Amino acid sequence: MVDFLQACINGLLTGALYALIGMGLALIFGVMRIVNFAHGAFLMVGMYTSWVLFDKLKINPYIGFLAAGVFLFFFGYLVYLLLIQPIRDRSDFMQILMTTGIALILVDGVQLKFGADYHQTNIELVNRTLRFGPFAVNAAYLLSFAIAAVCIVSLRSFVVRSRTGQALRAIAQNREVAPLMGINVTRIQGLSFALGIAVAGVAGGLLLPALYLFPTVGDDYTLKAFVIVVLGGMGSIEGAAFGGLVLGVAESLTSFYIGNQWALIVDFVLFLLVLSLKPSGIFGRQRA
Amino acid sequence: MIRSWKLWVLLAVVAASCCLPLLVQNDYQMQVVFRIALFAALGLAWNLVGGYAGQLSLGHVAFFGVGAYGLALFTSHSVPKWISIFLAAIVAVIFAEIIGRIVFRLRGPYFTLATIAFAEVLRLTATNLKITEGAIGLPTPALFTGPSFWRLFYFSAVALAVIAFLVNGWVSRSRFGYYLMAIREDEETASAVGIDTPRYKLRSLLISAFLTALGGALYGSAFQYIVPDNVLTIDVSLQIAIITMLGGAGTLLGPVVGAVLLMSASELFKNQFQESHLLIYGILIVVVVLFLPEGIMGGLQQLFRWRKKPETARAAS
Repeated sequence: MVDFLQACINGLLTGALYALIGMGLALIFGVMRIVNFAHGAFLMVGMYTSWVLFDKLKINPYIGFLAAGVFLFFFGYLVYLLLIQPIRDRSDFMQILMTTGIALILVDGVQLKFGADYHQTNIELVNRTLRFGPFAVNAAYLLSFAIAAVCIVSLRSFVVRSRTGQALRAIAQNREVAPLMGINVTRIQGLSFALGIAVAGVAGGLLLPALYLFPTVGDDYTLKAFVIVVLGGMGSIEGAAFGGLVLGVAESLTSFYIGNQWALIVDFVLFLLVLSLKPSGIFGRQRA
Repeated sequence: MIRSWKLWVLLAVVAASCCLPLLVQNDYQMQVVFRIALFAALGLAWNLVGGYAGQLSLGHVAFFGVGAYGLALFTSHSVPKWISIFLAAIVAVIFAEIIGRIVFRLRGPYFTLATIAFAEVLRLTATNLKITEGAIGLPTPALFTGPSFWRLFYFSAVALAVIAFLVNGWVSRSRFGYYLMAIREDEETASAVGIDTPRYKLRSLLISAFLTALGGALYGSAFQYIVPDNVLTIDVSLQIAIITMLGGAGTLLGPVVGAVLLMSASELFKNQFQESHLLIYGILIVVVVLFLPEGIMGGLQQLFRWRKKPETARAAS
């Protein structure tokens, strides 16, 4: 029982980061209907941003993640204006191709600049373990969890409460009528794309201490992010947060009981099951 | 039937590709032209699903990998290698039937994601199972031996491409092909006028999977060793799709043009950028989507039609 709970705790700790990644994609894909196959690549760029700051300026990744978020916000806005906005009304087919192209450019561009070597950020916190009764929790993971939780809550209240968030949801509800209400669709859509990318960058920065860094590190996260969004139900950013936690726990239990190498397969099987049995997601309602 | 000028084009391309080995000096170049011919065949196979039926599959490497692994596994159980190839292709068709039944219920991005997910499940399974020797990989038997090794592989790839081309030619003129194109243009309307859309989409996938698996077996056999990260990686799916999109999805010559252009470009870039050679793919995709959404052949076709229009208008009046 203790083992089971420990596995669940570990799952929740990674799950919070998955939740963050999923919410970013939910904003872009679920709300704005932009099919972003480059989500993991942007996350990887966030990790590299934070790593460069750590490597060159000795900035702790737990501060560097903020810089990664800010950098990716502007970078995301630029990518939206140059590459996404011209094709936003074309078919999904074209959006998938475009974002796949962006992902290839990012991954191989980073590889060209930094090489394919593995990097690691050795910060002291990663080696420290906190004990709560029978449970052991890695201090770095716990800190990442806490920061991710703060980001999740503030992102949600931004979307629900702020005026920009209202405009954003108005576009999601009706793209034709929103501009008639004086909403600048290009600006708001670009903003939410940039925000989603920035969140991926923050998640990347927070993942950095826990992972080895290499150019294709983000590839798995693109699919994972879609799995999370689908699990949570399209268009619901709260759903994506739950989806992330569910995925984290499912992965953790699989690695604990079956084996680490099968965790990724569980993601995809879960994804295919949800898509074919309940396409509206576990927490979602059917959308028109 | 294929219109006569297309037959001439086909004959010219085949004649040119048969003369090509005369120009090639060494094994390395022969291997490059083999890859061009092979990817032209794979692009033509993908074209049935991605081009005519308009279903953006990014999981075709699943069939490619099943072909390669099938060849390796059947021959290791002492099945003759030429029979193994066809058995592997039949296994791929069975996989396609199973995968298709699930993924064709989905639309747009969900379809694409599901195809990727299936291919990834296969890659991870092959990496973790004992029978496939995990990440270490399997040796594959060479179909040909001797000094003209690459030449024979090249001609087999050309033969496969010709078969795939003929299938495409048949599809583009047949009732089946018109059904697929109707599905691509508007699936709801297609099914409203009585086309059994899941059935025809599935049928296009089955044919496509068969051809793709033959290509995968040829690839595995030519390089004589396969690992999951080589024959089951999403990069192959992307390459196939991009070749076809660049040349022009849903056109007959598009995949061939795309394969020649992209494979030679990536070969040049490989020497320049080593491991970052996928960069050129990324840049090309972005350029194609922004400026040439119909691909090269699609763009030419449109130009041709646009030129032709005033004449027909005049003739009508």
